[in-house]
Amino acid sequence: MTESTSIAPQPVVNNSRSSTLQLVVRRGGARFGLAWIGLLVMVSVLAPFIASSHPWVMRVSGRVSSPLLQNLTALDITLVVASLMALLVWLLRLPPVKRIGTVAVASLLCFLVCSQLVNPSRLTVYEQYREGLRDGEVEWLIAAPVPWSPKDYLRDFGDTGLQPPGSHPERLHLMGTEENGADLLSRMVHASRLALGIGLVATGIALGLGVLLGGLMGYFSGWIDMLGMRLVEVFEAVPTLFLLLTFVAFFDRSLYMMMVIIGLTSWPGYARYVRAEFLRLRQLDYVQAAIVAGLPLRSILFRHILPNAAAPVLVAASFGVASAILAEATLSFLGLGLVDDPSWGQMLNQAVQSSTFNWWMALFPGFAIFMTVFSYNLIGEALRDALDPLVAENLAAATDARSGKA
Amino acid sequence: MLTYLLRRTLLMIPTLLGITLVVFAVMAASPGGISAQGLIEGNLEPEARRALEDYYNQRYGLDDPLPVQYWNWLKNISPFGSYQAESASVAKGLLKTPDMGTSFLYGRPVTELIAERLPITLLLNIFSIPLVYLFAIAIGVQAATRRGQSFDVASGTALLALWSVPVMLAGILLIGLFASAQNWHWFPESGLSSRAATEMPFLPHWGSVWQVLTFIGLTIALCVSFVFISRHSRMGRATLFSLVGALAGYAMGSSIGQASGSLLLPICVVVLAASFAWIGLVGSRGFCTVFAILLGTACTWYVAFNVLDQTLVPGFLLDRLWHLALPVICLSFGSLAFLAKLTRSSILENLAADYARTARAKGASESTVLWRHVFRNSLIPLITVAAALLPGLLAGSVVVESLFSIDGMGKLAVEAVKGRDRELVLSLTLISGVLTLLGYLLADLFYALADPRVSYD
Repeated sequence: MTESTSIAPQPVVNNSRSSTLQLVVRRGGARFGLAWIGLLVMVSVLAPFIASSHPWVMRVSGRVSSPLLQNLTALDITLVVASLMALLVWLLRLPPVKRIGTVAVASLLCFLVCSQLVNPSRLTVYEQYREGLRDGEVEWLIAAPVPWSPKDYLRDFGDTGLQPPGSHPERLHLMGTEENGADLLSRMVHASRLALGIGLVATGIALGLGVLLGGLMGYFSGWIDMLGMRLVEVFEAVPTLFLLLTFVAFFDRSLYMMMVIIGLTSWPGYARYVRAEFLRLRQLDYVQAAIVAGLPLRSILFRHILPNAAAPVLVAASFGVASAILAEATLSFLGLGLVDDPSWGQMLNQAVQSSTFNWWMALFPGFAIFMTVFSYNLIGEALRDALDPLVAENLAAATDARSGKA
Repeated sequence: MLTYLLRRTLLMIPTLLGITLVVFAVMAASPGGISAQGLIEGNLEPEARRALEDYYNQRYGLDDPLPVQYWNWLKNISPFGSYQAESASVAKGLLKTPDMGTSFLYGRPVTELIAERLPITLLLNIFSIPLVYLFAIAIGVQAATRRGQSFDVASGTALLALWSVPVMLAGILLIGLFASAQNWHWFPESGLSSRAATEMPFLPHWGSVWQVLTFIGLTIALCVSFVFISRHSRMGRATLFSLVGALAGYAMGSSIGQASGSLLLPICVVVLAASFAWIGLVGSRGFCTVFAILLGTACTWYVAFNVLDQTLVPGFLLDRLWHLALPVICLSFGSLAFLAKLTRSSILENLAADYARTARAKGASESTVLWRHVFRNSLIPLITVAAALLPGLLAGSVVVESLFSIDGMGKLAVEAVKGRDRELVLSLTLISGVLTLLGYLLADLFYALADPRVSYD
């Protein structure tokens, strides 16, 4: 090997991480996307407070109680605590690793404690509050902004299935009701959890698998690469939807199963990206130096190569979240999703039934799916442009010029 | 090159084995699995049930151990060997025709089922793919040549938005608005042809020659006069377009199924008139001419169907096209967005390349640079993507086919999976696997063909 006089590549990502993020945020589209995702996160964390048949506070025969707080599940409380911790950590400006660690540890602790202490009643009678108010048993109550729970099928009002918004002046259903009679807005609010959760967890699983397998394939190449690429091809050659259908039809349906299945079917793309990057990077001098220095494999792979390979994977991941949400919606639409839990795709399924067009069932959930997918795609595109050196330079110059002149 | 081809083809075999093994394992590992009990429906006497179970077990080998079942399936499907499952005829040679087995659900050979469904899926794609390429290239070229201008920014955002629309949402909205009897009942809701159409002749026809002549004359007269006015002046074409738009809006508003408010009629009229006038004011001369011809044809058709005479028989061809319109739109818009973005970035990359600069430096005009030099080179990624479309072409779209109840390959796949039909699921997996791998291979080969710098030796 001839002596290399080439300049060692700059560790691009570490130095310019903040400026990359700034570039992303400067784009209008990404800002719009981040705003929508932020709103969605807030709604999904506060879902039980926004939409619930349980009143916030009520007074029954002289005793003031809060049925809403009594009926929170461990997951609800953990979500609120985790987001409060995230806010706190962000305000304290801790280093990034500590930030993530603190939030993770705090939420895990909270979940363990809550799952021991909190046990909301499994069978809830939502009608009791309405009947109590009618009979005068309940003296006063402060209801949630959307006073219906997602699984409150309004049995005390008779058949309330598939009514357009505003069809009953005495009951306010801003988005109408769905097939079984529950309030659509409430189900929409609670379904945001499913969409965000599936998007993040499924992509996380796929990303973890893809980075691990792709990294090993790219670093070792040779026969490991050969075997790994066959595995990638196996999973790529079966159409994703077909594989999903097969998995879902043959196993029972639960939220975690859906996450695992969508994650398992979407890792090959990441593996390809990571493999290509690792193949390129392992030739570089600094990696060779790390190998010669006798660093352990773990350190070479994850501390030296991975940070420099992260950029294209990050772009793929934000598009991946969008496609995971779409996959969940499609499965639910085809009737293979969760059974009773609210999901946007399942609501869309009720829009055209026996040739009647229920416009509110198409408009609202469809808009929510579209906006979420669009937001992630916008963020992904902004990330890609920011990481593309040519575009990023132009953009930075343009924004600098604009702000300099102003 | 030949060694490369051979190597790739041989590498396909372990992949295909892996694909079918994964799907078979999923089917077998699931609760319930593949068993004869699942095939029997309804209440039967215990003896009858046992007899039926024995029959299925014997016929499909369902009581064999799982590895044996998979091995038998492999033996039947492989083109090598001299053993054939169903027929007693033992071929002496090394090769035999692969046997896909018999579907549990339908009790018919899988090959027959696929031969029935494949043409339908192909038909859908034959219409949608040229449409997608035509529009994608037009939009992509326009956006790339006007980089950073308002058209580029607007089309970029619009394409990303279009790409984010779920297929089922688009399908539901199209069905609900344009096929449902509640709103505009312009298109059929489902299926591929109406019952009456099977007895119609292939081409549309009228009662007499006179009417045909009137129709053709009307078309020519309207188109020519529209084009004449639209080429005369910008104001003229804006006025004409807004007038036609107002008429179309009136037709649209008055043909709505439900009496869902009288407000809709003026809204339709104003919106359509304004948007058509905007096209007339903003659009380029060439585009407006095409638009005028389109408007003229549409007006003639409207007159022919509603005013002129009721003796027009649409014929099988028109009926089929009428049924295909909405599914084809649903199938195309996503890939349209993707391909248009690809075209744009590819053309931009080539416009900045050294050879384009050389062409400009020797004095070639910008349009020559674009169409003679850059455009051809920019098509390379599009060709590569076309090969990757092959599996989708035949595998069909599950969502579109089940939305519009079209009996294509996608719907067959859903039925097979839901019915736990071992032979059908495995065969469909194998077919789509072969097609995908062939698509990858073709993409690489096309790449080498289109770009002489690439070689695989």
